[in-house]
Amino acid sequence: MNGESKPLSRRLIPYWLMGPGLLWLVLFFVIPLYFMARLALESGTLETGFSFTWEWANFTDGWDRYSEQFFRSFIYAGSATLIALVIAYPLAYAIAFRGGRWKNALLFAVVAPFFTTYLIRTIAWTTILSDNGVVVDVLRTIGILGDDGRVLATPAAVIAGITYNFLPFMVLPIYASLERLDPGLIEAAKDLYSSSRAAFLKVTLPLSMPGIVAGTLLTFIPAAGDYINVIFLGSTNTSMVGNAIQSLYLNTREYPTAAALSFILMAVIMAVVVIYIRFAGSEALMGEEEEAT
Amino acid sequence: MRIGARGFVRSLVAAAVLLAALLLAACGGGGSGIEGGADTGNVSTAAAEGKPSGTLSISNWPFYIDNQTVPDFEKATGISVKYQEDVNDNSEFFGKMQPLLDQGESGGRDIMVVTDWMANKMHNLGYLQDFDQEAVKPAMDNLVPSLQSPSFDPDRSFSLPWQSGMTGLVVNTAEAPDVKSVNDLFDPQYKGQVEMLTEMRDTVPLVMKADGVDPTTATKQDWLDAIDKIKEASDSGQIRKFTGNNYTNDLANGDAVAVIGWSGDAIQLQADNPDIKFVMPEQGCMIWSDNMVIPVGAPNPTAAYAWMNYVYEPKNQAQITDYNFYFSPVAGVKPLIEKTDPQAAKSPLIFPTDTYTKNCTTQVDPPGSDEDVADVEQAFQAVVTG
Repeated sequence: MNGESKPLSRRLIPYWLMGPGLLWLVLFFVIPLYFMARLALESGTLETGFSFTWEWANFTDGWDRYSEQFFRSFIYAGSATLIALVIAYPLAYAIAFRGGRWKNALLFAVVAPFFTTYLIRTIAWTTILSDNGVVVDVLRTIGILGDDGRVLATPAAVIAGITYNFLPFMVLPIYASLERLDPGLIEAAKDLYSSSRAAFLKVTLPLSMPGIVAGTLLTFIPAAGDYINVIFLGSTNTSMVGNAIQSLYLNTREYPTAAALSFILMAVIMAVVVIYIRFAGSEALMGEEEEAT
Repeated sequence: MRIGARGFVRSLVAAAVLLAALLLAACGGGGSGIEGGADTGNVSTAAAEGKPSGTLSISNWPFYIDNQTVPDFEKATGISVKYQEDVNDNSEFFGKMQPLLDQGESGGRDIMVVTDWMANKMHNLGYLQDFDQEAVKPAMDNLVPSLQSPSFDPDRSFSLPWQSGMTGLVVNTAEAPDVKSVNDLFDPQYKGQVEMLTEMRDTVPLVMKADGVDPTTATKQDWLDAIDKIKEASDSGQIRKFTGNNYTNDLANGDAVAVIGWSGDAIQLQADNPDIKFVMPEQGCMIWSDNMVIPVGAPNPTAAYAWMNYVYEPKNQAQITDYNFYFSPVAGVKPLIEKTDPQAAKSPLIFPTDTYTKNCTTQVDPPGSDEDVADVEQAFQAVVTG
């Protein structure tokens, strides 16, 4: 009712506000996506030229050749997301509830390493984890690694690298949801004779679900397509689907297969995310809006 | 009213799509921009016009030039130089440039430096221009005889070497004193401490040579067999990884003890760790050149020739050679280096003798049609990608 009594120009404001974002999305997402879809269905080589032939075989061919890298990507990204969650939740909890006047400083400490570029930080790990470095030396001494064991060029190094590189994307959303939490609710739970454990499980955890869901998505989605960590910390036997796409595009220049593989990756990530959101409950992601409607 | 609002959104989207389509059309026509297709017979000559001036843009590999040559050239000619070190791997550089070159654009580049086989490939695709022989004559006159007529460009009509070098073994001789042949890289005692190059034309022929196959007469099957041998070593963890320039870090860290690598890198590494040495494989090395080429759409070829002639003057060239320690393609450099750096002048890696390189092979492509080459490339990439 309210809206209809306002003049047209006022009602159009939201759309004008959406305009630039929409234009951006169309220009740099929808249109490139169209060309990529077209490319994925082309056939030919660079020498003979590519032509559009509805070449669906690019998809099956890409999958047949690189399904191993696909599974690896999801296992690595999934493990990294879980480890990041296990590290990030207590950290965010401590900062939000026990941080006191150090809150801002602690948050800054979480983000500070990320003022250095991603590549430099990843390359730095190759020195830290070097076969002749301190870390490997200690791990060998305490027997976690064999005498000629190593960390670099193993799946563990790649997963650790991904976890490290995406950790802030996990910490910050969880922190934001915990920080907003009204401590009165926890006190109320305790007044009603709930143990600390039950209060956490029944009050704190459910209320921080939006942060957990947002954090896991922000970590998992880019991690599944990552290829930098493999290049520096991994080896041939740890390559992920991002490496396969990079190599198809830049080394063997099979542009159609590369595009098809990118589409498969996008589709699989989308499917995983949809299932996850269904499972985790969409109200967790959308906050209370879902309940309101 | 709500439907009206939706209609508005719809028209907004339509307008945005239309606008974007117009923009794209303005940016150089339909299609995805990745069309490819050979365009031979259409090679134009990059004519020199008048006195060189303006701006010159060069794309070269990292660690290939000293700090002084570019400013000296600018002072001598009044040309301002944009020198970019954006070539790290022939295939990757090609992958980045191809969509531009296919539109007849070079992204402002006047000179690019690529290895023999890539220069050949770009030329076959019509992505390069022929030299104006008149304009580049001073440089050509100084080119060493051994590099004057390579098989891919017998008249040097579109390529001029920047530097040449050898691919062989780079070994930490304190950790792996027994590595003398490429076959020793497959020795289990070095498991996980061996690396090979992602450049197929370096790695595969060296493995072949170690098994007694001559790369210049090798069949497609010989290439695939060598790739199989590499794959086995990679799957078993014998080979730690495949790298471009970054094997130098792993050698310096001690994570790798013996690798397939480039001669100039070995000399640069040796400066920090005297144990790291270039080892000539018993069965010989691979020899390649990186060449200056002028791409289609180069805005200032006149300045490009001025640069080629400048770096081909022995005294200017000596300054570059004394920095990067690769073979110089310019005659008359050795006496100059003898004066400034007598030790470098004695190094067989910089001024190789015929006996030192007697078993070496000039880099070659896999044999056969484009599809055969693509098959071999795919097989090798499958190993490198895992």
